[in-house]
Amino acid sequence: MLIDSNAYVGHWPFRQLKDNTCKGLLERMKKYDIDASVVSNLNGVFYKNTQHANEELYEEIRSNKQFDGRFIPFAVINPIYNGWKDDLEICSTKMGMKGIRLHPLYHGYELSNPFCIELVKMARDKGMVVALSLRLVDPRPSSWLDVEKEWALKDILPIIKAVPDAKYLILNVCNSTALDADEQAVFKNVDLIMDTSGRNTADLGNLLVRFGKEKFAFGTHAPLLDYRTGLLRVESLRENEADAKTKDLLRSGNIKRLLKI
Amino acid sequence: MAGLISRRKFMAGTVASTVGIATTTHLAGRAYSGTEISSPAKPKREPLMEEVMRYKKIDAHAHVGGGHGTPAEVADFAERLGIHKVMISKPMAPGSAGVPSEFRACNDVIYSAMKEFPNRFTGMLTLNPTHKQESMDEIKRCIDRGFVGMKLYNHVKINDPLFYPIIEKFIDLKMIILMHSPIGKARVKYNAREPKNISIPEDFVDAAKRFPEAMFQFAHIGGGIDWEDACKALKDSPNVYVDVSGSNNEGNMIDFALRYIGEDRLLFGCDNGFYQGVGGMIAANLTEVQRKKIFFENYNNILKKSGRNVD
Repeated sequence: MLIDSNAYVGHWPFRQLKDNTCKGLLERMKKYDIDASVVSNLNGVFYKNTQHANEELYEEIRSNKQFDGRFIPFAVINPIYNGWKDDLEICSTKMGMKGIRLHPLYHGYELSNPFCIELVKMARDKGMVVALSLRLVDPRPSSWLDVEKEWALKDILPIIKAVPDAKYLILNVCNSTALDADEQAVFKNVDLIMDTSGRNTADLGNLLVRFGKEKFAFGTHAPLLDYRTGLLRVESLRENEADAKTKDLLRSGNIKRLLKI
Repeated sequence: MAGLISRRKFMAGTVASTVGIATTTHLAGRAYSGTEISSPAKPKREPLMEEVMRYKKIDAHAHVGGGHGTPAEVADFAERLGIHKVMISKPMAPGSAGVPSEFRACNDVIYSAMKEFPNRFTGMLTLNPTHKQESMDEIKRCIDRGFVGMKLYNHVKINDPLFYPIIEKFIDLKMIILMHSPIGKARVKYNAREPKNISIPEDFVDAAKRFPEAMFQFAHIGGGIDWEDACKALKDSPNVYVDVSGSNNEGNMIDFALRYIGEDRLLFGCDNGFYQGVGGMIAANLTEVQRKKIFFENYNNILKKSGRNVD
């Protein structure tokens, strides 16, 4: 079984995306034998009121019976925009969202912001996974209107330290994974998974040793990134790096456990 | 008063109705619940690694040393992903003086790697045309050692007159000139860290027009440049090949490049981003013929011109 831990629908304002609807994503999933996808709406990165993006995703998933059971929706929540607690409640209880996506670099707050911490605690209490992407796109070729800042892995430590008993999904690990011993221990002790879409998961065999085989899951970051590189990092692992059981954890086992599905 | 509802009830109803949600219509049974797919779907598609290994590949853009990995590490990536030949180079550091001793040392590193992995690596020499005679001497020294092309960084622009005698030499040799390209243009101009001598797409267009018999290779459209802008600039330069290497494996990049550059001028490459290079090629919407051309045949045809082809 293959579950993509990191997929999107919606638009990116500076570049045309392909297959960026549930229908387009499902066609890709069928083509490449992917059973289910964790999905959120990119429009929520840019809407000030992110709840519109969640409503769009909810309605789109409901619109076609073919989508049944194929999408695991995550809500985009902005904790510094009024009404976010209502939004979270609706997304959790009415829309069946399994997790939340935070976009602090685009929404303009720090991970140490008290409202962010409160949101993550509320998500934790609802059993929802908290997902963060170290960056959404490579800022070098993006627009002059785009944000330039991106994160290294250690930059997410403030929220992990503040709410260590939440469940985290760290996406597009594109920059340094360097951590000192204390930071490494924090990561080890948190229920956290990194997806394989980011360029700095190139040395996945060693990362499995360093962080543990339960800490990674296949993800594409599509359609922003190509649809095959994230899986290639998993499938090209040699037997001495990942046995069949470990590969199954990476393909779907770990993300199923994190999401309790 | 029977027709009135309290403000509290009204607001509660509004929240639900504005998003079109009744309390019983959430996604249970719609979104993935873990019960619908109780057993793995029977695979229909060829397993990914079988698909990857099926294609013969020449990596048109790779490096060893200088933070790019040891020869053994690069060779290991190539073996893992079925890259049969890797065109390696070691350009001089950006901002360096670029003196002859420096480019000779870089080429010596490459020659050493070629000897260590003769079946995997083929060398691309580097030089600095500011030092004309030493560069000409270095071309001879390297070609005699089995190098098959040239890789340049940003000491001199590709269309600078200093390059003219070097380009003419490579026309005689029937070998390709791979030139680095910049990052950026995202913020109207190129990234501030780029030196003034960086070769931008328009410089390639100019050099290619002046020397129509030369073969140029525009480096890494996945290396941080606005690849749509670059491909549009290079559309009508038939002697400029474009390699698709780089760490930025954005979706649809190769599909877009195919539309503007065409299947005969695109070259597979990784620039040491091996997973992105191979994964991007496998993900691209290409026909079997196109994928074979870009993975292998286009570069092999370039090598054929100097009699250095792989098969």
